[in-house]
Amino acid sequence: MSGTDAFSPKIVAYVCNWCTYLGADLAGTARLEYPPNVRIIRLPCTGRIDTNMVVKAFEVGADAVLVSGCHPGDCHYTAGNYHARRRWMLFRDLLEVVGFDMRRIHFSWISAAEGRKFQQTITEITEQTQALGPYRPYEAVPARPQCGTGASACQPAALADSPAQTQLRETAARLLSDGAVKVVIGYGARGPVFITSPEDAARLVWNETCFANLTTYLKRQEVRALGKPAIVVKGCDERALVVLEKESQVDRAEVYTIGMGCAGMGQPKCAACDTHQPRLANQTIASDGAPAAAPVDRYLELDLLLARSPEERLSFWTAEFDRCLKCYACRQVCPMCYCERCLADKNRPQAIDTSPHRQGNFAWHLSRAIHLAGRCVGCDECTRACPAAIDLRLLNLSLARAAETKFGYRAGMDPAAEPLVGAYSLTDKEEFIR
Amino acid sequence: MTTLTQDALRKLVGEWIAAGKVCVGPVRVAAGTVLFTRLASADGLLLDGWLRPANSIKELVLPRHEPLYGYRADRNRIELLDPPETVPEQIAICAHPCDAAALPILDKVFNWDYRDEAYNRRREATTVITLACTASDAECFCTSVGLGPDAERGSDAMLFDNGDGSFAVRTLTDKGRAVLGEAGAQGGRTNPPPVRFDAKEAGQFAAGHFDDPFWKLHALACVGCGACAFTCPVCHCFDIVDERNGHDGMRARNWDACQFPLFTLHASGHNPRHTQGDRQRQRIYHKFHMYPEKFGETLCTGCGNCARNCPVGLGVLPLVTEIPHAEPV
Repeated sequence: MSGTDAFSPKIVAYVCNWCTYLGADLAGTARLEYPPNVRIIRLPCTGRIDTNMVVKAFEVGADAVLVSGCHPGDCHYTAGNYHARRRWMLFRDLLEVVGFDMRRIHFSWISAAEGRKFQQTITEITEQTQALGPYRPYEAVPARPQCGTGASACQPAALADSPAQTQLRETAARLLSDGAVKVVIGYGARGPVFITSPEDAARLVWNETCFANLTTYLKRQEVRALGKPAIVVKGCDERALVVLEKESQVDRAEVYTIGMGCAGMGQPKCAACDTHQPRLANQTIASDGAPAAAPVDRYLELDLLLARSPEERLSFWTAEFDRCLKCYACRQVCPMCYCERCLADKNRPQAIDTSPHRQGNFAWHLSRAIHLAGRCVGCDECTRACPAAIDLRLLNLSLARAAETKFGYRAGMDPAAEPLVGAYSLTDKEEFIR
Repeated sequence: MTTLTQDALRKLVGEWIAAGKVCVGPVRVAAGTVLFTRLASADGLLLDGWLRPANSIKELVLPRHEPLYGYRADRNRIELLDPPETVPEQIAICAHPCDAAALPILDKVFNWDYRDEAYNRRREATTVITLACTASDAECFCTSVGLGPDAERGSDAMLFDNGDGSFAVRTLTDKGRAVLGEAGAQGGRTNPPPVRFDAKEAGQFAAGHFDDPFWKLHALACVGCGACAFTCPVCHCFDIVDERNGHDGMRARNWDACQFPLFTLHASGHNPRHTQGDRQRQRIYHKFHMYPEKFGETLCTGCGNCARNCPVGLGVLPLVTEIPHAEPV
């Protein structure tokens, strides 16, 4: 097929076993002709089609990808296609931000009776891809660094020796001497500290350097081994606790939360903050200052990026990801990355290349981002931790906006809300599906 | 050419790039982050206004990803693809003494029981032009590991910032003279950090307190990423991976880090370094006891990158300065 000079597109079709695969079969038995450019990969259900597989197909030389399954209501497993639809809605926004050529990725519902629709779909995709020409792998993209999308952050107030700090230390000492908790996870002069005796409570600080999200420690075995914790959270950090509880990772009854009112820590996220006050903490210590200004549009930086062309966006991300060392600081500081074994650490099969080359870095960062869709609370720890200053915040923002605008969902805001990706709705939009 | 203006250096760098040499120097990649970066032109080269880049020049000799060989299978024929025999000449511009000193330290481990061809090929092709430090911060501790702001070790040439947009130049080796000519500047202003700890004592503590609760306690904040090791000028552990795509593939070596749980995980599921405390101890033990014992060198140049890049305030200096001094070993 590809031995000649003329371009003949390679199309990978991930199809479900019960509908589209049978539709393709019907097209064959009915002797319907369609271009031979498609490689069909049969999976049990569209719900099984990981977004990684789409990325992988392009990595190994596909020019276009089709994902196809049962019509809504027809899923052999009741709801696999509804879950898939919701994931694609989020994933497409992520690809859009990265500057991916969206004309190369297709979704369809094709039933076992629709041999003709399969024929038509493949014919159309082949013709369209033929016109687009070969897919340009990341390796061919010029990396164009463009510094800073530049939203301003609010200035942190100096908080040294504040009444809130005194109150925090008293609270910690009391909790430890009462035996209510075994450890207080809080901020120290250099970073996180783990206070286990009331005398040590004076090591706790509350100042403008307390920007880390400490909830990430609730997953760590060494910290769990210390016994029941109290944890210092700001309003933004608390959202992570809401998600972790929803995902059965944290039992709120087993964690004492000390909420700190916060006027902002000078981080980019702080300028758009609308959770200055913790809402659900066991005890809240009031803020020493007031927020300097009303929150700015939280998607401002994202809009600046989206104002550029897809080619420029792809060049921008190429330059960003080229700096990636695969140190996994982004993953390790993330409260939501609690998998005991990350997909990136598995090698049978090797879903994501471990090498920090361009392809491996794209696969990793797309995968990391989509796994946080509807879960990321925007604490920006990943971006802060990155030694190479990769602007991961923008990927997270794109998925946060997709969740908010398409589903009215903001992770960690409403403790009663169903987790976004774990749920589905019959009314989810599907205008992008053939 | 004992004095070189910034413009003249930039012009030279432009010429080296035009001549096909790989030039690496400090570039601002984002607000607040300067990294040693391969230069496409001399324009982005930052000649002042930074303390030290968040990475190191180690990548010139040990790239984060290095294909060792490739293969291509066509029916019954398998073709092996060797990497190129020669690598282009590489010049590090404005390395610091803590970067330059890393290379002779690394030479020892890469030429110990086995001569690592890939490493040596790059090492021989590398020229290091060092900029003596005129400033230090609270994380710098080169003087605690026997180096200093104008230590010459590993450098082929040394620049001293005159503070007026020019450098005093001292060339030290043939490689240095080949790019900058004969130059013998006396020196210039430097600003050494104070000696902050005793490296020998740190090594002794690590060796004598293998199972001390100290490690567990001080590693509680560690999240287990590789930011410290990957930005360290001398951390050199790597992993060998096979990547394939259909009938083609390659074997490559990629950086690895002792803070990852996977680093020591056995196929059986047993992990000899079970907790993060074990892994932090390993880092200090390797740098201050194991390497000195084997090679007579501390595996640390005091650059402070580990502490600057650690998202949770750990690193060599913060850990080592917590070591209880009064305790008998």
